[in-house]
Amino acid sequence: MTSPIPPFGDPWERRQILKMMAAGLALGGVSGCDGDSDALVPAVMPATDMVPGVPGLFTSASVIGGYAEGILIEHRDGRPVKVAGNPKHPASLGATDVFAQALLLGFYDPDRARGPTLNNRPVGLSHFMTALDKRRQHLAETHGEGFRILTGTVTSPTLAAQIAQLRAVYPGLRWHQWEAVSRDQVRAGAQLAYGRSLETVPRLERANVILAIDSDLLSSAPGHLAYARAFAERRNPARTQHMSRVYAVESMPTLTGLAADHRFAVSPPDMPAVLAGLAAAILRDEPIPDGAPPWLAGVAADLKSHRRGAFIHAGPDQPAETHALVHALNEALEGRGHSFDLLPSAEAAPLDQRASLTDLVRGMESGAVDTLLILGGNPAFTAPVDLGFEAALRKVAFSVSLADEPNETSAAATWHIPEAHPFEAWGDARAFDGSVAIQQAQALPLYGGRSQNEMLAIFNGDYYPDGYSMLRRAWQDRLAGDQPWRAALMTGVVEGTAAAPVGDALRPEAAAALPKAEKSAGVTVLFRPDPHLLDGRFANNAWLQELPRPLTKLVWDNPLLVPPALADRLGLAKGDKAALTVDGRRVEAPVWIVPGLADDCVVAQFGFGRRRTGSVGEGAGWDYFQLRRSLGLHDAPAKLEKIPGRHVLASTDRRGLLTETEREAALARQSTLASFLADAQVLKSPGAAVSVTLYDQPPAQSADMAWGMSIDLNACIGCNACIVACQAENNIPVVGKEQVAREREMHWLRIDLDEGSQFQPVLCMHCEEAPCEVVCPVGATVHDAEGLNGMVYNRCIGTRFCANNCPYKVRRFNFMAFSAEEKRPAQSRNPEVTVRARGVMEKCTFCVQRIAAARIQADIENRPIRDGELKTACQSACPTQAFTFGNIRDPDAEVSRRKASPLTYAMLGELNTRPRVTYEGRIRNLSTDAEDG
Amino acid sequence: MEMPVADKVAGLALKPGVDAWWWWAFIPAMALTALLAVAVSWLFAKGIGVWGNNNPVMWAFPIINYVWWIGIASGGTFISAFFFLMKATWRTALNRIAESMTLCAAACAGLYPILHLGRAWFAYWLVPYPDTMGLWPQFRSPLLWDFYAVLTYVISSALFWYLGLIPDLATLRDRAETPGKRLFFGLAAVGFHGRGEQWRHYRATYGVLAALMAPLVISVHSIVGLDFAGGEVPGWHSTQFPPFFVFGAVLSGFASVLLLVIPLRRLLGLGAFITERHLEVLGRLMLTASVCVGYAYVMDAFSTFYGADEVEHRQFLERLTGLYWPVYWATLLFNVFIPQALWWRRARTDPAALMAISLLVVIGMWFERFNIIVGSLHRTAMPSAWGDFHPTFWDYATLFGTVGLFFSGFLLFVRFLPVISIFEMREMQASGEKP
Repeated sequence: MTSPIPPFGDPWERRQILKMMAAGLALGGVSGCDGDSDALVPAVMPATDMVPGVPGLFTSASVIGGYAEGILIEHRDGRPVKVAGNPKHPASLGATDVFAQALLLGFYDPDRARGPTLNNRPVGLSHFMTALDKRRQHLAETHGEGFRILTGTVTSPTLAAQIAQLRAVYPGLRWHQWEAVSRDQVRAGAQLAYGRSLETVPRLERANVILAIDSDLLSSAPGHLAYARAFAERRNPARTQHMSRVYAVESMPTLTGLAADHRFAVSPPDMPAVLAGLAAAILRDEPIPDGAPPWLAGVAADLKSHRRGAFIHAGPDQPAETHALVHALNEALEGRGHSFDLLPSAEAAPLDQRASLTDLVRGMESGAVDTLLILGGNPAFTAPVDLGFEAALRKVAFSVSLADEPNETSAAATWHIPEAHPFEAWGDARAFDGSVAIQQAQALPLYGGRSQNEMLAIFNGDYYPDGYSMLRRAWQDRLAGDQPWRAALMTGVVEGTAAAPVGDALRPEAAAALPKAEKSAGVTVLFRPDPHLLDGRFANNAWLQELPRPLTKLVWDNPLLVPPALADRLGLAKGDKAALTVDGRRVEAPVWIVPGLADDCVVAQFGFGRRRTGSVGEGAGWDYFQLRRSLGLHDAPAKLEKIPGRHVLASTDRRGLLTETEREAALARQSTLASFLADAQVLKSPGAAVSVTLYDQPPAQSADMAWGMSIDLNACIGCNACIVACQAENNIPVVGKEQVAREREMHWLRIDLDEGSQFQPVLCMHCEEAPCEVVCPVGATVHDAEGLNGMVYNRCIGTRFCANNCPYKVRRFNFMAFSAEEKRPAQSRNPEVTVRARGVMEKCTFCVQRIAAARIQADIENRPIRDGELKTACQSACPTQAFTFGNIRDPDAEVSRRKASPLTYAMLGELNTRPRVTYEGRIRNLSTDAEDG
Repeated sequence: MEMPVADKVAGLALKPGVDAWWWWAFIPAMALTALLAVAVSWLFAKGIGVWGNNNPVMWAFPIINYVWWIGIASGGTFISAFFFLMKATWRTALNRIAESMTLCAAACAGLYPILHLGRAWFAYWLVPYPDTMGLWPQFRSPLLWDFYAVLTYVISSALFWYLGLIPDLATLRDRAETPGKRLFFGLAAVGFHGRGEQWRHYRATYGVLAALMAPLVISVHSIVGLDFAGGEVPGWHSTQFPPFFVFGAVLSGFASVLLLVIPLRRLLGLGAFITERHLEVLGRLMLTASVCVGYAYVMDAFSTFYGADEVEHRQFLERLTGLYWPVYWATLLFNVFIPQALWWRRARTDPAALMAISLLVVIGMWFERFNIIVGSLHRTAMPSAWGDFHPTFWDYATLFGTVGLFFSGFLLFVRFLPVISIFEMREMQASGEKP
């Protein structure tokens, strides 16, 4: 691997840091009230509105797969230190997903590309400009014949307009799109059903019965944070009169499936029978045909009995016919306008991406393509293996890869130009409902990166483009003048861009659509994105690498997931190696056993096994893209066999497959709606806890404040956003795979998955009678007057008795100098939180720094802290508002009201620890007709 | 009759040159001590992550080793102080060896509480010294009690050992043939000349110290037991721990004394002083302690299942059948079942059999502490935080390093100091008793 010479020497040298800080300062002026200077000039004197130590908040957008999620970026002294959701953005509503949180670490990633390269050798940018100038003359002569642009899915109006402009100059230009996490079948399904690409937007707050077929509704669909919020509104029977009922039919457990009341595991070859059965029952009022699973009749009857309130959702891995049929079923259930709406697609140019990429590769191979601009993405790694993208790319005479890190594509392209990080680039993007968010640059590019918009401008002859003024120009009609522009930046959404529902009628042939059943003799491999690395774009992000996968709690690896029955048959144990063969191509990888996976299915989660990436992602996992063909993007028949050898896999849940004893030992409480309605106290422990203590020191009752938290297990969908938010807020170090395998992960907050289906976030319980406090010989962990269990790092000598004595096992110890060993600049950390040294204990503090900030503000204004004005990092990131935090002395506080819920229980309350964190137990709305499959 | 004791024992200490067997023992012991030095340096350079300790199993080898060594140390104190007060004459031939063993073992034990700290350089924060910030240790913590108990014990053991040595050091001073030895023993004997007044003060002091030491040996192990009983951890939270720990400590203490006395008796030719009768008495004591420990094991199981705590039940069954089942069953076998052979006089008088049983008991007691510490921590009430413990090279290096340290110290004692209390033997012989 070549090591590009950074353009400015050591990027963290003092001048560079000053430059970056200055950029932040100057940007503060851009969106503030300092007048719109379009040049980012280093400030010698800080801006007048800048108070050292007071954070600045700027709106922006996190764009995944083309779709925007509004975010707020917190700056400290001019540098971004934390991401939060933008409450005014429809796809965020104040929450974030893990990717938005992890953007921060990516911004400070020292492995990012540092300058342009030509055939992997560092060169100056002017070198590229000279070459491009010649190329443009050539393109002008050929009218752009042979000129292609490859992007991901694009919703950005500005980017689309720029491509259109470029096409006006070079009429032969063609635009291709490719996302490895493919939504082609969703597009094709809408095409079949309505004749054009439409966005189905469920209104889950109004849906009484939901059937989720391999659904990504709560995990990764555009708008999933908003859907999760609406979903949770109907899931806690203590707060809603009408709890929704959710059925999930899926091959592998999804977050939606785990949140469902009934979950049926169905492998892809059996799925057509399920759909045929639903079609018969719902579209034609016929009895369920033979061959359909026995539970289907109950599900279909439930859906039919809730007309208008029923909604069916199919995930992007389902074939186009399924999507078309689901559209027909939803129309037949009359939910349109009530339980769902149809919106025009937010995409700028919806197209069949598989065909588009195939077409491009054919052109590259035949020599028809001589100029290729790849804007972002990493197609050399993610393209279907049978296309041979990488080899074809090497044949292109002039190829430019705009990429933020040196990757497989940039290595094969002629030119690699560093891409500006989303924190460095001005841009725009639409959310699932069409509303546009402006992506604000937060700093000058650290390594001289160019944004996608700027790159297009460069190809259009503007060699020194300015992303900011380009964007202003693009929006000059809509956001004329400074006032509307500033308003758009301050709210994070361009007003009036949300789409209205369309009135397209269903085509009659949709009702007849039915996917073909393809029975395979061997197993079926399901290709799914890794939940945290997606198509591999986050492989160098340590936060996402070390974030336990919701289902397996695995970190740093992507073994093949196999169901227990298949593992038994092949004699596979967790960590045993197996060879997976698809159409003659073979990958050898270890396996992990996952209950709830349909029999005869193997899940290959791609995104790992990057061949060329930074030091974090190097050597992690296996590359299943090598098995993924263009005609089997989602599933394919395969052969799985055991081979000799084992591999150490690191999971933060060390229990293996739960035995009966372990299942009984699970601490997350749950019951059914019927039991709850019969007895609201069903989850309470028998016998009230008696408060007897050896040390008669009740927590101070005099304080006005008593911090407490309630966590609603009905709402928690296990999305992990809270964990990354906590990690970012509290400077929690990443420890690496080996240390996780040694059971030394540092996350203050973990999400337990009990009984295979019940997520339970566990953090420090801030016990009123804290067992940790009495055993510390030096008093390093103490109680404060407001009930916080405080940890005094400076006083800790590391006896670790507190961690032994903690029944909840939430204390984390710095066995090594984890923070000091992190490859991460000090500037990226939250200055409000101590970075812990080797040998000290740490744990959740209830974000004490936020409490302190709120208290200072309240004191300045001479008032008590208001309910809701203060949110912990986990709480603010949570899409379903599972966390509530506040003053439990205040009976009107939201947290007090939630704690008064009949579902509330204290975990291990029998130990008399009197935890300040309580849970609302999970209630399942079981149907009497359907038994779990 | 009088001269042989002093001649023999003083001769051993004063003779020039070193026996071959001593080198064979001392060189490996020093090699292990060097390994300890390397292990500790690595530990201080990298942090306690070099060991296998992990999130649920926050305490492992260091605390096991600590409890093990402090238990071994108890043997010497028990024999020299307890039986002194009981006026058991047989102790006279054994007490010096036993006390030296105590001192070396306590030194090894004392290392661990410091080494196991995340930030060992702040160990002095356990000392209640007045500081400008008004910070004090946290007196409710059993670890703090433990710190005081062990500190008291180590200091008292050292004083007791030294005080017992003074008349013999004076004898050595008087017999030393080289000026260097005269100077060394002269300084060490702190002017003891055997005047009547000196003897009067000496006996009073020794008696008082013995009276202090006897309860100390009980208190230190009770408090070590409270380190666990005071915790909330299932498997620890039991009121029987203090006596249980005392039983275990004296069992390993007696076994260790036997383990040292039997070879020494032969190598140094002390058969005339340390007779079969001594071995037999030690065998009986070991048997008694073993029965007591067996009782504690039965009560451990009984109280677990008599109680209604599901977590305790589950954890106990895990001990019997889980990952560490061999350790549990080896504990029972080595500490309870095999020592039952000592009911037979033949086993009690056969040095080889006694050696074997003692060795197994010493190993078994280490296993017992493994069970209590790792066995309890790795399966607590929180199933999602269950985890296993896998020791690393550095865990073993530290454990065997302190074994080396122990033997290095002990062998130096054997070479340079009187291994049997000369003056007490003389007294006994003068009063016409048999050793």
